[in-house]
Amino acid sequence: MEMTYEFSKEDLAEIEKIKAKYPDKKSPVMPVLWLAQEKFGHVEPEVQQLVARTLDLPAAHVYGVVSFYTQYYGKKMGKYVLDVCTTTSCQLCGGYEILHYIEDKLGIKAGETTKDGLFSIQSVECLGACGYAPMMQITNGVYCNHLTKEKVDTIIDGLRAGRMPEFESIPMPQHLDESTNKIG
Amino acid sequence: MAIDWRNYKPLLIPGIPNLHKIEVFEKNGGYEQLKKTLKSLTPEAVVNEVKAANIRGRGGAGFNAGLKWSFMPKPDGGPRYIAANGDESEPGTFKDRKIFEYNPHLFIEGAIIAGFAMHITAVYVYIRGEYKSWIDMMQKAIDDAYAKGYLGKNILGSGFDLDMYVHSGAGAYICGEESSLMESLEGKRGYPRVKPPFPAQKGLWGRPTTINNIETLANVPLVIKNGADWYKSIGAPTHPGPVLYGISGHVNRPGVYEYPTGMSIMELINDVCGGMRGGKKVKAVIPGGSSTPPLRGDQLEGVCMDADSLRTAGSMMGTAGMIVMDEDTDMVDALWRISHFYHHESCGQCTPCRDGTGFLEKTLIKIRDGEGEMRDLDLLLDLCTQMEGRTICALADAAAWPVRYTVTRFREDFEKRVKNTVFALA
Amino acid sequence: MPEIFIDNIRYEFEGKPLVLQFMLDNGLDHPFFCYHPSLSIPANCRQCYVEAGTPVWNRETNDYELNESGDRVIRFFPKLMTACSLEATDGMVIKTHRTSELVKRAHKDTLEFILVNHPLDCPICDQAGECPLQIQTYKYGPEGSRFEHKKVHKPKRIKLGPRVILDAERCINCTRCVRFTEEISKTHQLTIISRGDKNYPAVAPGTEFDDPYSLNTVDICPVGALTSADFRFKARVWEMNQTPGIDVTNGTGCNIDVWTRDNLVLRITPRYNAAVNDHWMPDFGREDIRRMNENRISKPELSLDGDRIKSSWNNAEITLWEKLKEFSPSEMLFAGSAFSSVEDNFVLKKHAKRIGAEKVYFTPFIKQGSGDGFLIDEDQYPNTQGCRLLGLKELSPADFKAKVSDSAVKLLVMLEDDLIGRGVLNTADLEGKFVVYMGSNHNATSAAATLVVPIANSVEQSCSFVNVKGRIQRTTAAKETIYTNRKLNLEMSVGRLDRYGTKFDNWVTDRNRIDCIPAWEYLERVAAQDDANFGYVSTRAIMAEIASTNARFTGVDYDRLDEEPGIPLISAEEVKTA
Repeated sequence: MEMTYEFSKEDLAEIEKIKAKYPDKKSPVMPVLWLAQEKFGHVEPEVQQLVARTLDLPAAHVYGVVSFYTQYYGKKMGKYVLDVCTTTSCQLCGGYEILHYIEDKLGIKAGETTKDGLFSIQSVECLGACGYAPMMQITNGVYCNHLTKEKVDTIIDGLRAGRMPEFESIPMPQHLDESTNKIG
Repeated sequence: MAIDWRNYKPLLIPGIPNLHKIEVFEKNGGYEQLKKTLKSLTPEAVVNEVKAANIRGRGGAGFNAGLKWSFMPKPDGGPRYIAANGDESEPGTFKDRKIFEYNPHLFIEGAIIAGFAMHITAVYVYIRGEYKSWIDMMQKAIDDAYAKGYLGKNILGSGFDLDMYVHSGAGAYICGEESSLMESLEGKRGYPRVKPPFPAQKGLWGRPTTINNIETLANVPLVIKNGADWYKSIGAPTHPGPVLYGISGHVNRPGVYEYPTGMSIMELINDVCGGMRGGKKVKAVIPGGSSTPPLRGDQLEGVCMDADSLRTAGSMMGTAGMIVMDEDTDMVDALWRISHFYHHESCGQCTPCRDGTGFLEKTLIKIRDGEGEMRDLDLLLDLCTQMEGRTICALADAAAWPVRYTVTRFREDFEKRVKNTVFALA
Repeated sequence: MPEIFIDNIRYEFEGKPLVLQFMLDNGLDHPFFCYHPSLSIPANCRQCYVEAGTPVWNRETNDYELNESGDRVIRFFPKLMTACSLEATDGMVIKTHRTSELVKRAHKDTLEFILVNHPLDCPICDQAGECPLQIQTYKYGPEGSRFEHKKVHKPKRIKLGPRVILDAERCINCTRCVRFTEEISKTHQLTIISRGDKNYPAVAPGTEFDDPYSLNTVDICPVGALTSADFRFKARVWEMNQTPGIDVTNGTGCNIDVWTRDNLVLRITPRYNAAVNDHWMPDFGREDIRRMNENRISKPELSLDGDRIKSSWNNAEITLWEKLKEFSPSEMLFAGSAFSSVEDNFVLKKHAKRIGAEKVYFTPFIKQGSGDGFLIDEDQYPNTQGCRLLGLKELSPADFKAKVSDSAVKLLVMLEDDLIGRGVLNTADLEGKFVVYMGSNHNATSAAATLVVPIANSVEQSCSFVNVKGRIQRTTAAKETIYTNRKLNLEMSVGRLDRYGTKFDNWVTDRNRIDCIPAWEYLERVAAQDDANFGYVSTRAIMAEIASTNARFTGVDYDRLDEEPGIPLISAEEVKTA
């Protein structure tokens, strides 16, 4: 089924706001791609062309940008993209064990999507949560830190039930009151 | 010089609940330095004070921020920019997100003061796309600052105008490199630019631009408040000030800690972070993000986290993102993973990096998988020589250094691996 | 004058030259890939490394600081510098691979890296023989490979557009093609996609690289990543002869190289001329090889009682000679052509005058609005200005049609111009007239003519054209006719196959030599029946006469045309009013 992608009036108003932040017409392409990806779930070629048309940019330029940045989904992904960090600190603290556990659990390999279209797994580069390893990010959104197999089970069960994990605020250890474990 | 870190009161991120809220921040003296600056200081005075304080860039290069500011040409009436670098992608680095989360207004205040000092018209805060949660926090803080009149037209009645925008990255380590960051802000593939021209002459959209790390700018209000002399008295004399240490790996209490520069590495591991997991020995420490040369556990005695001490020890301060590895760590595997990172993140513009990072990784895989030969170790070092200093930006260096220093400093691990192979020694 | 020392030799320079370009201009070989003089400088291939230093200035003595032996103290940049992006400054010292082991090593290192992911399929690569990567590897590269791993695999045989094929594995990511579409043709159709060693150029999905200048990317590609769909696998470049020529498909007059093998034109590439086309040309100019090779008129043809018969040259000459006797000048019409050369039009005009015809007419071929302000002009013919400067009578298409179709005209003598095909005339306009058509290719006009005289085209003889801006430029014979021989005509290029190939091997045949002569020669031979020929032996001689009799051509001669990038005959202001 051919799908046509369009921006709504509200999207276009938002795009105008984005454009106002930059002095030229090329610069808004990244935030507008983000907006498009949030709306459509991906930025496949048809969406890239929509972005190019909307911003009056060459389609090739938009394609070049999409393919450069790993967070843009140039092709459709699962509803939940599990980006498991495996770079150094996570590697040291069991990132690959978590990755393989998720792979086995979902029956797919990193880079693949489950048949039901619910999950994709990616082994990704450092997400900047090195102290909270192993960890993963879900669909470019929330970070899940200090992963254990049990925690992964809970998260995946939750996602299956449509529950996105909540943002975990991790205070600096030196701020924690040793008795209450709270800041102050 | 021992630092009395146990009695240190954090300055960048004080332990005040809800400090990220603008009212709380104001109640705790927030935006007072901006008011003072706008009311009683000239731009030159701010530049000079910051220069004298010697805030060394916290993004990795460690360049004097005030000196960098002084490279900006005289205003010509056209737009001028600050690009605040919150890309924070160097493995081992996770500190700026603490500022976004716990004290965003300190950064905003610092950026506005910097803007005033350099006659800036707009600040673009570039934050890595993965930090979606923190981007939202930062945007909220900026919106609040606008609402209170700290940003926008005629800030606090001073006649100074400044805009601040958040720009989200989308997954590219290279965009933490300052010229690549500017390309990305301009909506392009993040290819680093050839220098000269330098950003101060021709930066964002061809206009004078200064790029500062988030943490660097957060230090500015401290200097304005207490003066350069006070600032210089904190931590290591040649690399002063408070610093956010991001410590990860095999320690008991990893996390971000704020202490003065010049902290002893062993003290950070054993006391601040509660020692090694399982009471193991330290095998290696990467002091400032994965590109900085690793130090052996037996090299750490007396080594402190400041530029001079680390240079003497054979490494660099980088982002102060320290990765600690215990005695069980497989250095071949660890180095392969670092090489994989740089191979994956090379933008592909320059030949030595584009094809050299892959060559390094593939050679390391060969060794990791037990198929390596002695000559592969020499090959690795040779490839490093062929990459270092040969590219537009420093990614090739960042990829080569860990290889060079891991292979030389942990050579026995590598030799053990290749000697076990079925291939004879070369 | 400012000075620069390259490998201990002193050179003077003016302005702010880039070191690489300066070295190339001074005949110093230096390896590079991404640099192109007409494009921006990304310095991404990292091949053109040099050591560079500048003399230390002593402010106290207000002079250069000297060492104990009295030589200038040179402060070298800490890193190797890319010569392409390095501006020369007074007193700069450059060390290349000739004097620096470090530079020599760096050149080798970069080539080693470039080659690790390059397929090394030179034996089947179109670029072989004219490949900068191949030649620089030969000159500067490592002796062997230390890369024992799998190369990165990428798409091959990708049709980027109708005329350009991509082999992404061969690509070395110099970005010249992308920069070309961004900076020169401005279609922005290409981009580099992906990252790192997965990078390669591409078009946006669902679009095609139909840029009217797309084939220039094939020319500037320093490897065989981009190849021409048309020329692909047609020839090894060293088998071909390369002959300078002029693009006759448009009024711009792009300078070209005509590549032939066994007297077939296999490809056309642009030849640098800063005053006309820089390094570029439009794609359609290259498609002219079809006109040069195919559908040629070979041997004269005559319509006799409704039949089209082949005629001898003798008969073709006598037939026109008789017709010129049969009719009075007022019954004749001589049509010059903006498609034909200056020389052919001049000789036609001179013979017409000899016969008593008052004028030679022509009608330009302008497609309004078809110009792009770059290299594609509205003028579809190469010599409109030449016809004007020679004093041919210019008529609008309608007036021309009226003139020709006038029943008083009994004999029409035409230089090559497909007037029917381009809609100026129709067949009916020519009915009842004796029409002599001198042309190279069969077309609607030749089909309607009574006598068809096969003439040598712009790649079968030397001849000149005046482009839309009034610049006269000339071609050189690239292709033999059956009457010319490249070993006797010293101006023609002689390639490897011409030297060593024989009729008995697979390559050299007589099949592709056309039975044709230049139009001016035919006209001379017709006049020779009365001994009324002017005795021209070559276009070179004809041009000498034009230059001495037509003030607008003063000073033009073939040698000068070879030495200079063409000669401007009229000023820009005159072009506007012309």
